[in-house]
Amino acid sequence: MSTAKPNVPDTPEIERESIEDRLYTVKYSDSGESHLDVKVEGICEEKCTNYECVNACPADVWRAEEGGVPTIAYENCLECGTCRFACPHGNVEWEYPETGNGVSYKFG
Amino acid sequence: MSETPNYDSEYDAIVVGAGLAGSTAALTMARDGLDVIMIERGPSPGTKNVFGGVLYTPRIRELTDFDDAPKERYVAKKTYSMLSEEGDETSMSIAPSSWREEPHNNSWMVLRADFDEWFAEQAVEAGAMLVTETTVTDLIKENGEVVGVETDRPDGELRAPMVVLAEGANSLVSEAAGLKDRDDRDNVAVSVKEVRKYDREKLEDRFHIDGDAGLAAHYFGDGACGDAVGGGFLYTNKRTVSIGVVYSIEDAAHDKKTPDEVLEEFKQHPAVAPLVRGGRMVEYSAHAIPEGGPDSMPELVHDGAVIVGDAAGLVLNSGVHLEGTNMAVESGYHAGRAVADALAQGRTDEAALASYETNLRDSYVVENLEHYGWFMDTAAEEKEFLFDDLPRALGRAGDAYFKMDNTPKDEHVSEAKSHILDATGGWLGAAKKAWKFRKMLS
Repeated sequence: MSTAKPNVPDTPEIERESIEDRLYTVKYSDSGESHLDVKVEGICEEKCTNYECVNACPADVWRAEEGGVPTIAYENCLECGTCRFACPHGNVEWEYPETGNGVSYKFG
Repeated sequence: MSETPNYDSEYDAIVVGAGLAGSTAALTMARDGLDVIMIERGPSPGTKNVFGGVLYTPRIRELTDFDDAPKERYVAKKTYSMLSEEGDETSMSIAPSSWREEPHNNSWMVLRADFDEWFAEQAVEAGAMLVTETTVTDLIKENGEVVGVETDRPDGELRAPMVVLAEGANSLVSEAAGLKDRDDRDNVAVSVKEVRKYDREKLEDRFHIDGDAGLAAHYFGDGACGDAVGGGFLYTNKRTVSIGVVYSIEDAAHDKKTPDEVLEEFKQHPAVAPLVRGGRMVEYSAHAIPEGGPDSMPELVHDGAVIVGDAAGLVLNSGVHLEGTNMAVESGYHAGRAVADALAQGRTDEAALASYETNLRDSYVVENLEHYGWFMDTAAEEKEFLFDDLPRALGRAGDAYFKMDNTPKDEHVSEAKSHILDATGGWLGAAKKAWKFRKMLS
């Protein structure tokens, strides 16, 4: 993919926002239990080497761990569904957070 | 519809999701005298919805008093820019004077949390019932026919002769019930967007806009989102700017850079940085977008159910035309009418609902999807040329063509030509590529 910022004079420096800063702008209500899971841990352990769920997730929900089974920070989830499609093994268990919980966009 | 037999429910139709497609279907059916209930999982309609930024309104204008709708700015100007990762920009700007006059080419920037709430309210005013913070978890089927829905509320079963599935890009219910398959990841894009707030005057000065006029800017090339099939966008709202990137999940899965990092890089590009400097990010959002074209459309009509909007894969990306809101509304409209006609005959079977599919296929919706169906595959095939070689070649050709030095212009022209021909693989390559993309602007 693209390399670092091109070095072009007289271009304003844009402050990079961390994923934490980004997620901080999102109104969120915690259902208290994860709406995401790995279907079969053995598939992550044995078949997956490249953490495509981690690469594709825009909200730092999926995190690579030793042993191959990612941890899931479900309370970061933006309910975009990208991981559902990204996992080449179809190993993402994905539901909507219950009864209106989860993200609630003010702009959208 | 009291003559419809064998149903103990008070509703004729259940609409799953109060987005654009769902609310249009509910509005259409309620106006036809049906008892309709919309089930929305968010705290209010729109709170779970994300889009780039432009609502196309030809049908919405016919159905509602659109002047009352909460909206941001009309599209007074569109720009298309090729960005190389070295920092070049080559762009085209389109601003016909007619766009400044009513109805502004039916193209308005809106914010979904505001608009969708208002739009669902139009359906409610027409008599539809709206239930929020309730998620439909499954369909109830009897003898292969859809006869209702399960929800996550206590005693959450609800039965009705018809179910309209307007559940969006993540169509969990339709998939679980076997009405469609999950799309392959090369047919789905991930989009991330941030909304940045500015002083209104500053925003209008920066984008040379005034009154309700606004800008819709589109960016392609590896300066926008790396060598992925996709692009960047920027839309001006009243006091905010929506900026984001959209690219294939196939590419996102292989790239160590996460979508938020790709967006950060897009914002650093010399063509983009001056447009977004300052201000404050007030919201970050993300969503999957079905971009599989006509081949990804599921069966739209089932016994007791129809599928509309994003759930039906109704998004057009032709490289030039990026549409979905109008297609969602159009599908909800045709589905609503078909359901009303079928129920008027006391029927809910697939054959009785077939007019939905027929009318959608006869409309611009499927016509356009089929006309531009070749584009996404060709773009993926020609990824390196389109997103990498071409933006760089255009940047270099522009540099050469307009060069100020002590050589005559014909040398500049031949240098510019050679940059382009290097990228295309000579005249023959250029001819082949032109042939491949010949339908892009037609």
